[in-house]
Amino acid sequence: MAGVTPLYDAIWEDYMLWSLLVGAIAFGWLYHHSFFYRSEDGESPNVDNLEVGVFPKDYDNLKLEVTWTVLPFILIVWLTYISWAPLDAVWSQTGPDGYHGSECQEGESSNNYIDSDGYVRSECYWEIDITGQQWFWEFDCNGLSEDLCSTDYATVEGELKPLLTLKTGETYFAVLNSIDVTHAVKNPGFGMMEDVVPGQETYLWMPAVEETSFLMLCAEYCGDNHAYMTAQVNVE
Amino acid sequence: MGERAVSRRLALISLMAIAMIVVPAVTSLPSGISGVKDTGCNCHGTEADPSVTASISGLPESYNASETYNVTVSFTGGPAIDGNANLGGFNLWASGGTLATQDSSTQLWGPSEASHTSEGNDQRSWSLVWTAPESGSDVDFILHTNSVNGNEGDGGSSGDMWAKAQVKVLGFGAAELPEADPFKVLATLIMVSAVLLSIVVLYVFYRNNPEGFEWQRFAPWITEWLTSTDHKKIGTLYFVQGLFFLGVGGIMALMMRVQLASPGNEFISQDYYNQFFTLHGTTMIFLAAMPLIAGFANWIVPLQIGAPDLAFPRLNALSFWLQPVAALLIFTGVFSGAGADTGWTGYAPYVVTENTHAGVSMWAAGQIMLVASSTLTGINFLTTMAVMRAPGMGWFQMPLFTWSILVANLMLFLSIPAFGVGLIQVYLDRTIATAFYDVASGGDPLLWSHLFWYFGHPEVYVVIVPAFGVISEVIATSARRSIFGYKSMVYAMAGIGLVSFIVYGHHMFTSGMSPALRFITMLTTMLVAVPTGIKIFNWLKTMHGGSLVYRTHTLWTLGFLVTFTLGGISGMFFPSMALDVHLHETYFVVAHFHYVLVGGTVFGFFAAIYYWYPKMTGRMLDERLGVLHFLTAFISYNALFWPMHRLGVVGMIRRTHTYYITTDDFQALPEWAADWNMLISVSAFLFFASNLLLVVNMIKSLIRGEKAPADPWGGWSFEWMTSSPPPTPSFDPHNLPELKDANEHVANEPSRLGQMFRRLMVDDDASEGGSH
Repeated sequence: MAGVTPLYDAIWEDYMLWSLLVGAIAFGWLYHHSFFYRSEDGESPNVDNLEVGVFPKDYDNLKLEVTWTVLPFILIVWLTYISWAPLDAVWSQTGPDGYHGSECQEGESSNNYIDSDGYVRSECYWEIDITGQQWFWEFDCNGLSEDLCSTDYATVEGELKPLLTLKTGETYFAVLNSIDVTHAVKNPGFGMMEDVVPGQETYLWMPAVEETSFLMLCAEYCGDNHAYMTAQVNVE
Repeated sequence: MGERAVSRRLALISLMAIAMIVVPAVTSLPSGISGVKDTGCNCHGTEADPSVTASISGLPESYNASETYNVTVSFTGGPAIDGNANLGGFNLWASGGTLATQDSSTQLWGPSEASHTSEGNDQRSWSLVWTAPESGSDVDFILHTNSVNGNEGDGGSSGDMWAKAQVKVLGFGAAELPEADPFKVLATLIMVSAVLLSIVVLYVFYRNNPEGFEWQRFAPWITEWLTSTDHKKIGTLYFVQGLFFLGVGGIMALMMRVQLASPGNEFISQDYYNQFFTLHGTTMIFLAAMPLIAGFANWIVPLQIGAPDLAFPRLNALSFWLQPVAALLIFTGVFSGAGADTGWTGYAPYVVTENTHAGVSMWAAGQIMLVASSTLTGINFLTTMAVMRAPGMGWFQMPLFTWSILVANLMLFLSIPAFGVGLIQVYLDRTIATAFYDVASGGDPLLWSHLFWYFGHPEVYVVIVPAFGVISEVIATSARRSIFGYKSMVYAMAGIGLVSFIVYGHHMFTSGMSPALRFITMLTTMLVAVPTGIKIFNWLKTMHGGSLVYRTHTLWTLGFLVTFTLGGISGMFFPSMALDVHLHETYFVVAHFHYVLVGGTVFGFFAAIYYWYPKMTGRMLDERLGVLHFLTAFISYNALFWPMHRLGVVGMIRRTHTYYITTDDFQALPEWAADWNMLISVSAFLFFASNLLLVVNMIKSLIRGEKAPADPWGGWSFEWMTSSPPPTPSFDPHNLPELKDANEHVANEPSRLGQMFRRLMVDDDASEGGSH
């Protein structure tokens, strides 16, 4: 799948597995009962003697009901558990306890890689700024050297759009700002998005692990030219 | 009341209705509200300044087809001073042909609109290339330039003035056929639907009594409908309103689907597309789903609990009549060409900025009326259920549809005030310039998200829970069984009602929420699956050992179980963070909520129509047409929404009128995405068309349907005791029905809680006989 992180892939597969299982149980049950228990003559028998004006006789089974309260509950606890760790990775804190260390000093390199669990880990990160505005993105490399981060313009379907070029193996920490309304950075290539809220700084990790080139979109509706609020991101 | 008085009132009402349509339309006609073209650069003052002169050169007197011309736009005068950081900028718009840039000092906003870039704002003139259109019609150019004194660097300047220039380039041949304005198409379709609806109403009236087709008889008939406080008549009015707007919302969806059928399509412009998806959402939720639910609640709840009418019949009439008026307000912007373009979520601060259309104020005003209407409905239904249950009917003998309406109204009643507050703030921000959401003045954009989603998430359960009620009724009656686990069904609904208030944070996962809250919301959101699962398993277990009678409503119920389960499963993907940051705001979300709202609510209420229509009209529906409706709609529905999951996973985002396919330069959507979108669009038309079968079926049944017996399907609740259609009042207040119970011994025993209280309290006899 295009531009999906290994982390996403791993969880996606778990979720698909459980979905298929739950679906198979529910639909198997449904198809069996809707054929097996159908009325032969389209009328009878009136199994529980339903009668107008009479509350029907009880039909329940506490054990069964508790079973299908507890089993789904265990399943969601499990699903929450496997989704828990990525919570820290997706919004990793900065500093030695985080996944991406502290800010890189000149001459250092992030040397990022994907570990066996699908998490991206780096030795340090570079900070850049992304500013949203109706209806274009503005990148600021914060004075990083040309080979680490550079900005330019690219032609996207006949229109000039901002271009951000990043370096493979480096991890970037984007500080997001908006000067007018709410936008959202949607980086399909990094499998991430984060809102850009005016009057508030939000943050987004952009681990450039492998070479790619993708279209960054605005994913929060922001007015007339929302669909054209694109930018190109190259990882070289 | 004299005949003349009736006519006079009718004339007055029509005058008021016309005034309400015309007055706002006149004051909000397009001049000065549609963006750059009319007001100059949207960031500058509103009046043009005479000291600036704008000019366009390089254009011919009349053009040759497809020839290219070098165009130079420039300005003189104003506060611009050489040597400062910025001098000025421009916006050029052409009514035809295409513009192209020559260097990085200019950029395009569309095929025929261009402006300067941030690099190009230190120039006084800019060059562009214009390619003339192939057709021979005249082309208008509108140029806005502004001149700034860029003495404060990139951050701003002390002077900023603008000017406008207009040039007409003559064409060479016959004028091009004018393009249809999509709003006129939509408005025409709505008008035609309304006219057809009134023709149907008149025809049904005529068929009922051909001799009586004259004004003296028609006036009291229509007056009765306009002024009735009978819960059944009001229910029918809600129902007709709901179906009408379901059609209108559907037409808007179709126009969006035509636009999305291929990438870069130009069927409707971005501007119109934005208004269509906004109004599609608002219409479907507030003007279609809610009235359909209110219609059935009005009809069925008093009948099910054995009440002659609702507790406050006049309040009920007020609740209804607020709705069409609110609908007119919401659509006012459409008819004046500047409908709301904020999305149904109306995210702040965009919703209060000047770039939005004037129609947004009307859209907010209309929704405030809907908030009032829903609150009154909530009071009315809760009171009715609390005090007007027939003798013998305890809380835990209420039919499940009534329970579902109770839970839905309780949720609505507790959540909608927050939405009302938010809307009033938006309305004040837009009209009298308060600053609740204006960031520059210290407003808080996240406040709106909180208020909106505190309401918005319970709201989607308000819409789905009544469908649960319908399915519980239908599946038990069709399987000829008692519902399995009646009490756990009630507790599950109540559980959904409780959980709904603590999950709304998942709409704001990517808005910079604190990590701890993200985790909590993830957990609570996952919890929704538990009560929903209980309901699905209970329905399945109800079928066990039953004898399922296949009728159209049974088919819709089984269809509901399939689609709603799928929608529930896809919903489980969102609380998981690593998945959510990828799927948020993509078509995966669109697919999910259409699976639960169309596959859940709409399918549930289609089942309700087939189930209760005979009770409401006294006429049976055609089963063969019904089965055909189900088969065509179910197949086209799945072909319409299932592919959207895949499109979302590969990254197609919501709310854009176009999408990008991967090219040599960059990765975007894969090539097959275009074909899938075409498939979706074709299925959308099939789905819309298949639902017309239902309309045909209903009209056919009204005219020559078989007479319906009192209890055609063998249900147990009180509505099947009355004749079809029921008399007015629905039950004789002096001779209310009494609910018997097949489990006498259980019904007369106090509940466990009651037994506990009894043990705790010293009863009267004991205290009197004891120590004295």
